[in-house]
Amino acid sequence: MLDSWMIEADSLSMRFNLGMEKSLSLKQWFVDAALRKHKAPQEFWALRDVSFTVGRGEVVGLVGSNGAGKSTLLKLLAGVMKPTRGHVRCSGSICPMIELGAGFDPQLTARENILLSGAIMGYSRDFLQSRFDAIVDFSELHAFLDVPVQNFSSGMSARLAFSIAVQVEPEILIVDEILSVGDTAFQRKSAEKMRAMIGGGTTVLFVSHSLEQICGMCSRALWLDHGVLREEGPSQLVCAHYRSAALGQPVPDAPEEELC
Amino acid sequence: MTARLILSWRKYRFLLFELIKRDFKVKYKRSALGMLWSLLYPVLMMCVMALVFRNVFRFSAPGVSYLSYLMIGLTLFNYYSEASNLSMSSVVANFSLLNKVYLPKYIFPLSKCLFVGINFLLTLLPLYAVILLTGTGLCWQHLLLPYDYLCLLLFTLGMGLALSAAAVLLRDLFYIYGIILTIWTYLTPIMYDLNSIGSPRLIALMKLNPLYHFISFARTIMLFHRTPGPGQFAACALSGVLALLIGASFFRSRQDTFIYYC
Repeated sequence: MLDSWMIEADSLSMRFNLGMEKSLSLKQWFVDAALRKHKAPQEFWALRDVSFTVGRGEVVGLVGSNGAGKSTLLKLLAGVMKPTRGHVRCSGSICPMIELGAGFDPQLTARENILLSGAIMGYSRDFLQSRFDAIVDFSELHAFLDVPVQNFSSGMSARLAFSIAVQVEPEILIVDEILSVGDTAFQRKSAEKMRAMIGGGTTVLFVSHSLEQICGMCSRALWLDHGVLREEGPSQLVCAHYRSAALGQPVPDAPEEELC
Repeated sequence: MTARLILSWRKYRFLLFELIKRDFKVKYKRSALGMLWSLLYPVLMMCVMALVFRNVFRFSAPGVSYLSYLMIGLTLFNYYSEASNLSMSSVVANFSLLNKVYLPKYIFPLSKCLFVGINFLLTLLPLYAVILLTGTGLCWQHLLLPYDYLCLLLFTLGMGLALSAAAVLLRDLFYIYGIILTIWTYLTPIMYDLNSIGSPRLIALMKLNPLYHFISFARTIMLFHRTPGPGQFAACALSGVLALLIGASFFRSRQDTFIYYC
């Protein structure tokens, strides 16, 4: 039964020390020591004891209000952070589409940035060379290949970044909101591309604030509330419960018809 | 551990190559003189220092060309100071990346050390020009110099790893290290001869400086046409390997906490 799940999170907990870390300097340390200021560590648990599994080919939605721990959970899955307790296992190549344009160097041209940014996202040289034309075609930036990205408009660099990011064929895809970038035509094209990727049969963990999208695309949903997994089940049911809790209304009788 | 390192190397050597390529492109883009700057800078530095120290302070290195003496010290020290400085800021500068995708964090200081290392090979051109023009001459022992550079690279990498991890904790390390580097320049016999110092205890103390050993190894060959003694070989290897071991283990113990400082 090894292959039955693709993502397994086992009692994941993540603790942050607010106020303790960040912007430390020797100067500050001396000042604090002289004033006998002692900063007490202010613990904050972004996730508490979260366990779930995602099966092969399943499309699972993740809902929750701001600060519920969704981004932290995605970072743990992507391996950017290590959990304070518990562990997470992914059996397969994982592609976090969390941020676009990771590692663009503004001084380099579009052509050079495709290679650099692709390398940062973990693509191999052969893969990038074979997909180079597809990336350029999708971005429709043929005329600007040898222009430094710092001279691009923000829409143009977002198009380039999106085109690089969607080239992957991962076994696990992590999507943080359906991104639609660029002008109206490209927005439709990019949203369609992402829908195609989600619906393409890979395992997907999909985070969105649009409950309609979650209901429409996911079979199952997880609801995170202040770091705790509050509910797990069919997406329409979970979305209905989440919506009524968020809006402070009782659960409607027939959530399926009302919502989706 | 070793298997993991090999796997990570296979997966990320393309990224390492791209990062180094990026540094070169950015460095030489849009500068009218391009690579010439890398060649001119050490020569100009040498000219100024030679003017000041030979004519004003009347420093000299007994029996050898002072210009060559100065140039060897400057070339090696400049490599160390530039590479360690760039390595130190490399992790903090890439925080936005580390926050998004998983990358082996050592790749940033490593790419900086290699980038400056390849650039260092360019600065060997003016060094050899000075050696030939001053009539210092060549000898077969020059073939031993890659050993010296390799040890210096290991030492620099070790320092770069330690500094980059420390800079995450202490953001004012950038200013502090700038001061340390200036002091280090004067404590390293770059423009003066160590033996011109009167006190033997002070000389013994100054020989604890690893950079002294790398520079003295190169000088023994280039200026005196002699094979360095076993003690010199050992001092270089020891400085390099020890620094790398300490730097790498400090980096490893800290790297999982970097994300909290992003």
